[in-house]
Amino acid sequence: MISDIDIQAILVTLKLSALTVLILLVVSIPLAWWLAHTRSRFKVSVETVTALPLVLPPTVLGFYLLVFMGAQGPLGKFWIELTGQPLSFSFTGLVIASCIYSLPFVVQPIQAAFERLDKSAIEAAWTLGASRAKAFLTVVLPQSRRGLITAIVLGFAHTMGEFGVVLMVGGNIAGETKVVSIAIYEHVEVLEYASAHMLAALLLVFSFVVLFIVYGMNRRMQMGFHQ
Amino acid sequence: MTQLDIDIELKRKEFQLDLQISLPESGITALLGPSGSGKSTALRVIAGLEKPQQGMIKRGQRTWFDAEKKVFLPPQQRRLGMVFQDYALFEHLTVAENVAYGLPKEARDYHVNYWLKHLHIEEYAERYPANLSGGQRQRVALARCMAIEPDLLLLDEPFSAVDLSLRQTLRYQLKELVKDVNRPVLIVSHHLEDARYLADNVGVMVEGQLLQFGKTAEVFANPVCYTVAKILGWENFLHIDEIAGTTVKGKWGSLTLDEEPHIEMRWLSIRPEHVRIAIQGQSGLTATIEEITDYGVYRSVKCILQDGTIIHMHRAWDEPLPIEGSTVSLHLPLVNIKTLPSYIQSIKAYPKEKFKNISPALSQTS
Repeated sequence: MISDIDIQAILVTLKLSALTVLILLVVSIPLAWWLAHTRSRFKVSVETVTALPLVLPPTVLGFYLLVFMGAQGPLGKFWIELTGQPLSFSFTGLVIASCIYSLPFVVQPIQAAFERLDKSAIEAAWTLGASRAKAFLTVVLPQSRRGLITAIVLGFAHTMGEFGVVLMVGGNIAGETKVVSIAIYEHVEVLEYASAHMLAALLLVFSFVVLFIVYGMNRRMQMGFHQ
Repeated sequence: MTQLDIDIELKRKEFQLDLQISLPESGITALLGPSGSGKSTALRVIAGLEKPQQGMIKRGQRTWFDAEKKVFLPPQQRRLGMVFQDYALFEHLTVAENVAYGLPKEARDYHVNYWLKHLHIEEYAERYPANLSGGQRQRVALARCMAIEPDLLLLDEPFSAVDLSLRQTLRYQLKELVKDVNRPVLIVSHHLEDARYLADNVGVMVEGQLLQFGKTAEVFANPVCYTVAKILGWENFLHIDEIAGTTVKGKWGSLTLDEEPHIEMRWLSIRPEHVRIAIQGQSGLTATIEEITDYGVYRSVKCILQDGTIIHMHRAWDEPLPIEGSTVSLHLPLVNIKTLPSYIQSIKAYPKEKFKNISPALSQTS
């Protein structure tokens, strides 16, 4: 059956993915809005940096993150001064790395949704007396919901599946930084195929169920508007 | 209720809007003009969706915009109803929720019910906008902004998204709706019929400038220049090459007018319904009948003068006409001929008195 260590790995993975998506939503919604509407000359640079994790090999990204967050790195040093704890090989460090690694998967669908928005609907809300904040919450977000759901699903799934970055930055500390993908790799390395199967199948089923529910919800919403 | 005063200047890279206009306390005003003339931008400026560089906008006692005093009320505080070109309905809300959007909670039910009923859309209350026809969508958009009891109603090309067959019905409904609304209504359109049927006053805009403004019938009957005349559907234009006393000459021939036209006059114009075939003893311009098109109650005759200028003539369906290809003499009654300058600067640059001096045709009929 599933060992305690494996269960811990599952819990760490879920916690990591959920936290990453939550933080990324908070960061990505304003960032995506800015990218969708700015005419600034920095737009291209920011877009490029945001998309970098898509094309960088995870080990390259992981390596630089490790340098950056290590005890001698700028962020690592600062973190030690602030908390007394090192950032590398900790769950917190893993969350930061995951956020950077999964950023494009969350930003891009939201940005695309914002770019598709009916600008006049927002202006109509303003002329009807809605403050900018109210218009954003009651018109922009609902009309972008498909992009938001896509962003959540992609961000969650991508974080769950990450391997290279985790290995570089988080290492393999049970209950702290050991995630399912690393646990599977370890099982395979020592030829424990049955345990590897269990975890792999679990990830597969979980991913399937989540996607199925999301697509089902999307379809229902769409149908609702067209009945 | 007092009127709406606008005097604004907005500069863009390749476009400048310069508008000075006062709307009466109630009634419909239409802004006509080709696309790119700035009429939609004008509407957006009034709504507070664009900020001009100069000028002021006042609605009654309230200042909505004053560049010098640095006053700029955002659209939220202007309390106006705007119907957007594509209606801009909230696709994720039902019809009833759309209408309720701008209302405070306690007043919601009453007003939503009232406006749904008033505009005959109660049966669609629970539907989503995607499942409505163009005409129904327009009524939802109207109900949504009427529900907040706006001080001013703005409509941007309100009929552009509906079939031609529906237009007349919707125009009628709109006229009925605003009839008992005691506040200014401003419509932007490039359809002459919208203005003719709906508007009490008409403004004509070209390249960001207001070239003419006045009572609808007056504006349609007395365009101030060639450009405006073309926009208002005038068809027949004879270019003036030379003015000698009361006689004007062009490649098409010459005509002697009642009065000597002003030196700036460059065109003669006459509406197709005023052109007729000269009877014996009447002077006329020699033309060839190119084509006769039957429109039922009238026939449109396309004539070509010797220099190639085309003159359209509308005659009653039962009036006998020479056959296509025959040569005729066209009579242009002097009383119906307008003399026009090619183009005028904005109204600001051309005060009314000057118009009268330069346009005998204008002062003659008014």
